[in-house]
Amino acid sequence: MNKSEVSILIVDDDEIVRESMGAFLEDEGFIIHFADSGEEALENIAFLRPVVCISDMRLAGISGEAFIVQAYSVCPATGYLLHTGMAYSPSPELRALGMTQEDVFQKPITHFSVLINRIAAIASTGRMEYSAC
Amino acid sequence: MIEKAGTDENSDSAEGPLQKKADSRVLLADNERLKKALIDVLDTLPSIIARIDREGRVDLVNRQLELFSGVSAAEAFGVLLESLIPHFTPQLRQVAEAIDRQNPISFAKIQYCSGTDVLYFSMHVYPLRNENSGMAVIRIDDITEHVRIEESMIQSEKMMMVGGLAAGMAHEINNPLGAIMQHAQNIERRVSLTIPANSKAAEEVGVSLDQVRAYLEKRNIFEFLEHIRTAGSRAAEIVTNMLKFSRRGHSRIETVVLASVLDQVLALAATDYDMKKLYDFRHIELVREYSADTLRVAMNVSEMEHALLNILKNAAQAISEAAVANPRITVRTLSVDGMAAIEVEDNGPGMDETIRLRIFDPFFSTKEIGVGIGLGLSVTYAIVTREHHGTIEAWSQPGVGSRFTIKIPLHRRNG
Ligand SMILES: Nc1ncnc2c1ncn2[C@@H]1O[C@H](COP(=O)(O)OP(=O)(O)O)[C@@H](O)[C@H]1O
Ligand SMILES: [Mg+2]
Repeated sequence: MNKSEVSILIVDDDEIVRESMGAFLEDEGFIIHFADSGEEALENIAFLRPVVCISDMRLAGISGEAFIVQAYSVCPATGYLLHTGMAYSPSPELRALGMTQEDVFQKPITHFSVLINRIAAIASTGRMEYSAC
Repeated sequence: MIEKAGTDENSDSAEGPLQKKADSRVLLADNERLKKALIDVLDTLPSIIARIDREGRVDLVNRQLELFSGVSAAEAFGVLLESLIPHFTPQLRQVAEAIDRQNPISFAKIQYCSGTDVLYFSMHVYPLRNENSGMAVIRIDDITEHVRIEESMIQSEKMMMVGGLAAGMAHEINNPLGAIMQHAQNIERRVSLTIPANSKAAEEVGVSLDQVRAYLEKRNIFEFLEHIRTAGSRAAEIVTNMLKFSRRGHSRIETVVLASVLDQVLALAATDYDMKKLYDFRHIELVREYSADTLRVAMNVSEMEHALLNILKNAAQAISEAAVANPRITVRTLSVDGMAAIEVEDNGPGMDETIRLRIFDPFFSTKEIGVGIGLGLSVTYAIVTREHHGTIEAWSQPGVGSRFTIKIPLHRRNG
């Protein structure tokens, strides 16, 4: 995996969360894009074609869950991760898209390597070809 | 609360067939028969019943009282009731006054320690109002089960409240906490030698990254960053614990040998870092009494381990604080009435009743700030009752020790 070819879309309505996560992933060498709502992310996702999309759960407009379901229909090759402040298990809708508990990250993340490993795993599987959207 | 037995005569059914039948029965009954019927009634009731005079001397006891005191009715006659059931002496001393005032009195919750069991009783004193005034009927009931159910209902309510608050708060707290911890990490990495962009930026402002690092080192900045991270983790753990009160379901249930779970927890306790700070587990004598050592139970293993570890930590803390001479923790497995039971007993300082009643409350702690925040047992409670449909009880006697008993059903309810 060449990290500079792996783009990540971060969806969070909290600026400091977006920034801190963005800075971290940027330092890791990934290409970062931001959206502060599910609506905004949906407008751009077909164009950005991120390899990974990390979304907050509770957003101002549509929920992270609803966003992922809609985004998947546009970009099924993207790997979706949820980053949430609540204890959460993927809903049946999200499980149907192939998401598992491993795709849920509880805020605050204390072991960042787990997140990096998950991103790397998604980026290295064929289904997550970044151009496959 | 007070029953008015015998005060409402059913006047409306006075001429009904039932009444006639009863009348004829009474007519038929001779003295002996009436006496026998009365004794039958008294002995059939689950209550402990006695009739005593103003001085407290017994003239009638029922079977339950015989069983409870171990003294037969014949031997009991004329004896002071408080000598038969000495535990109730403080209450019995108030009977004379109740008789004088012709006012019934009640005692709602009398604690009674029988061996290592804690039982609860209620007591009612009814002064007689007929030609026998000057006497009173004493009725004592075992309300242990009732008290337990009530206690656990109150407890669940408290949990739900904290759980609800926590669920609402978690999102609000975890966002900033996430940013704090992430940024602590970011700062560390932005001065690390492994990221090329760092040396480039340093060069641009005319310093070397090595110099920057040397300065930060000298001023302890790296240590501060580490402290931000550990403090953040601690706060995060509190929120995670509080969320346990509200969450249900989605748990991974495995069927495992109960005794091996306990062994695992004891091993964990012996190596746990926080625990070592408090007390060296090697100084505590560990007694394993596994009477059900092959018993297999369905449980969420990591959660149950967490629940048990909280209990063991408390036991070790209590023992070390009190500097007990021969510190000992006994763990037991038992199988009773379709339930698997785990007991953890220590010979620490114990706790008095006012404390015991509150130990499962979220944030109740008698420990110093920094040592305990009072989430251990409430989390244990939530794990046992909500995740495993079990029960947990604490027994304690100041100066003797404490014992926690967890019971979980061997066969899980469906649905
Ligand atoms: N084995 C024990 N012996 C004596 N007191 C205990 C024991 N276990 C718990 N307690 C009491 O219960 C309180 C609550 O325990 P816990 O919920 O674990 O919170 P914490 O340990 O943070 O105080 C303790 O502060 C202590 O007073
Ligand atoms: Mg504790």
